[in-house]
Amino acid sequence: MKDIVTLLRPRIFSFKNKGLFKNDRGRRVKLFLFGTIGICFWGGIFATSLRVLIYFKEISELGDILAYKLLSMILLTFFSLLIFSSILTSISKLYLSRDLSLVHSMPVSSFKIFIARSIESTLDSSWMVIVYTLPIFMSYGIVYQAGFFFYWDMIMVILSLVIIASSTSVILVVLVVNFVPASRMRNMSIFFGLCFFLILFFAVRFLQPERLVDPEVFSTALVYLKSLKTPAPPYLPSTWACDSLKAALSGHIQHGMFHTALSWTWAGVMVFMAIIIADAVYFKGLSKAHTAHVRLFRNRFSGIHFRGLLPGPVGAFIFKEIRTFFRDQTQWSQLFLIAALVVLYLYNFNALPLEKAPIKTVYLQNLLSFLNMGLAGFVLTAITARFAYPAVSIEREAFWLVKSVPITLRRYLWIKFFIYFLPLLILTEILIIATNILLKVTPFMMALSTATIFFLVPGVVAMGIGFGAAYPDFKADNPAQTVTSFGGILFMMVCAGYIGAVIFLEAGPVYNIFMADIKERGLTVFEWTWVTGSFFLVFVLSIAAIIIPMKFGEKRLSELKV
Amino acid sequence: MIELKNLSKKYGNLLAVDTLNLRVSKGEIFGFIGPNGAGKTTTINMMGGVLAPTSGAVMICGINMADQPEHAKRKIGFIPDRAYLYEKLTGMEFLKFIADLYDVDEDRFLKKSQEKLDMFFLSDRSNELIESYSHGMKQRLVMAAALLHDPQVIVVDEPMVGLDPLAIKMVKDHFKHLADEGVTIFMSTHTLKVAEDICDKIGIIHKGTLIATGTYEDLRRNVHAEGADLEQIFIRLTEP
Repeated sequence: MKDIVTLLRPRIFSFKNKGLFKNDRGRRVKLFLFGTIGICFWGGIFATSLRVLIYFKEISELGDILAYKLLSMILLTFFSLLIFSSILTSISKLYLSRDLSLVHSMPVSSFKIFIARSIESTLDSSWMVIVYTLPIFMSYGIVYQAGFFFYWDMIMVILSLVIIASSTSVILVVLVVNFVPASRMRNMSIFFGLCFFLILFFAVRFLQPERLVDPEVFSTALVYLKSLKTPAPPYLPSTWACDSLKAALSGHIQHGMFHTALSWTWAGVMVFMAIIIADAVYFKGLSKAHTAHVRLFRNRFSGIHFRGLLPGPVGAFIFKEIRTFFRDQTQWSQLFLIAALVVLYLYNFNALPLEKAPIKTVYLQNLLSFLNMGLAGFVLTAITARFAYPAVSIEREAFWLVKSVPITLRRYLWIKFFIYFLPLLILTEILIIATNILLKVTPFMMALSTATIFFLVPGVVAMGIGFGAAYPDFKADNPAQTVTSFGGILFMMVCAGYIGAVIFLEAGPVYNIFMADIKERGLTVFEWTWVTGSFFLVFVLSIAAIIIPMKFGEKRLSELKV
Repeated sequence: MIELKNLSKKYGNLLAVDTLNLRVSKGEIFGFIGPNGAGKTTTINMMGGVLAPTSGAVMICGINMADQPEHAKRKIGFIPDRAYLYEKLTGMEFLKFIADLYDVDEDRFLKKSQEKLDMFFLSDRSNELIESYSHGMKQRLVMAAALLHDPQVIVVDEPMVGLDPLAIKMVKDHFKHLADEGVTIFMSTHTLKVAEDICDKIGIIHKGTLIATGTYEDLRRNVHAEGADLEQIFIRLTEP
């Protein structure tokens, strides 16, 4: 036990020392910013959950069934998220951390190192999921006026689920590392990325959430009720948790205790199994993970044929970037996730029951198409945050090279910009055009949204590159995670503001043009002025969104001591 | 003190270390040299218990590393070439962390840590975060940490990289002093002058195989080059 505590100590000290030696003011500003965003988000979830549950409670009979069905779905999602998050964290903690060589050279048995790492992994992978699901569970307690037992039970159930998810993931990772050729350790994230995509896709397909609010698809009310009451699989830990919380909500303490005890028993079994398995195979797998990396697929793209078309330094950076991206197969899992995102995005538009809406379909289609520009803009921001924002940080310790070669930082940043601009433009245009086709919008809306996206993409990408250059982290273990830093949050906030401003500026003129078209009349002089002024402002804003962040990034990066 | 028995390590199809047999006696300083990618670091990692061999055994003070890794590691002071240090810990906190893992009691820690910090010129910076240290300071801190528990065997990979001339001299003198006191030192190095100056025996590894071993004189005789220095011997043995 003493060794395990000692192994955890560097983490505790590092956390404690974080604020001790740094500029306190900057830290406080960041803390305030992150804290405010976090609290707003938490409050938003709490308010929404309360609103939904109060609404359900008002519906006699059916309301409780719906609320419990929702609880079951939330717990299943909670459990799946914990497992996925834990898989990724435990791979990194158990096999890829840079201090592993140091701790394994110490006279401590590998199973103790495994336990310490697993504790760290469990905490790291679950704290955020717990914090942001708590308001949902608390809402149940408030709406159903549950007693103290519910809140105690809620904590116990969540903790047991966290331990079960973490142990399951750790066992899976430890075993897979021993069976998959270890030289392909890093490539495993592709495997997990693909699994997550499939799980996500099938989970959404099977749950068919749209059916819950559309009783018409069921032949009778009885069939509808029956489908809602269908019990979840009894062997799933999330089902035990759901049964326990349901019992606690309705005051059946013994029943609740039984299911909580069931959950904890399994948690104990899983921890025990994880330690036994790790004792047998963890160090063996770790030794394999230290081997040289072998590429899973050998891509033949060399780019030599295109090199002649571009000037020396430009070509050099472009092809370095493309080669590094495709040779780092850890990046590919992200591509699978984007594919999943695109498929789900399009699927959701396809599944919209527009014809059943009380509003006239043609209005709704075009309204949705308009709002879809904003939605696509946020998807674009998320993808830019993942790929373009870390584009400078990804140089890591090799950034001295960028500073030492005969190329200006401005040119370097613009090369980075164009590398990400073209693929992101194509992706976002595909999203917007495909959803417009699914919505069967008017030609005007099609042209408007295509053009708006054409102006939005360079602004968002420039912000990604600019803010990424202004707040780089060359020491990050995983540069892709730098987006959760101060600069990353700032980038996302400014992006949200920019997209919101564009949508706001276009809303009025678009409504006027659309209504004039429907009513088959021309625009008034005032409307023409408004339309021209608004679109001109959008144009100016978009140009500013490209130039200002790029200059800001260049200035900050040039001041940086490397 | 150190015995490597038929030690091999395979990375996929690549045989990084091939049936290595070696014995280093008590109080001996053994220099392990070889071209880049010859298998030096892999061998050292297996000796430090950081990497499991594909076959063969590492014996430290008669203890098999595979059977009793904790006992074996307790005897070793392991100094890797690019040690990871917890950047957010102070130098003193890092030493305490290592001391706790080796079960060094509080009184001994206070005495030893101060002694090592003084020896490696780190006393005045011991309460600063490691992230503010230079590369050489980090290297000195790793050495100080490895010596805290008075190891019987020191396994060190490229000890002089990043050190200034004063620190290099100090480390060389200290290694000689430790060897006189019976500590066995196994070190890999590219600095042939260092190997020439302090090593009692030298082993040359090439493409995973130990191609020559013995004293400086033995090696000279081996290549039939009387009066040749270690660099000439090394080149003659390893050039393609």
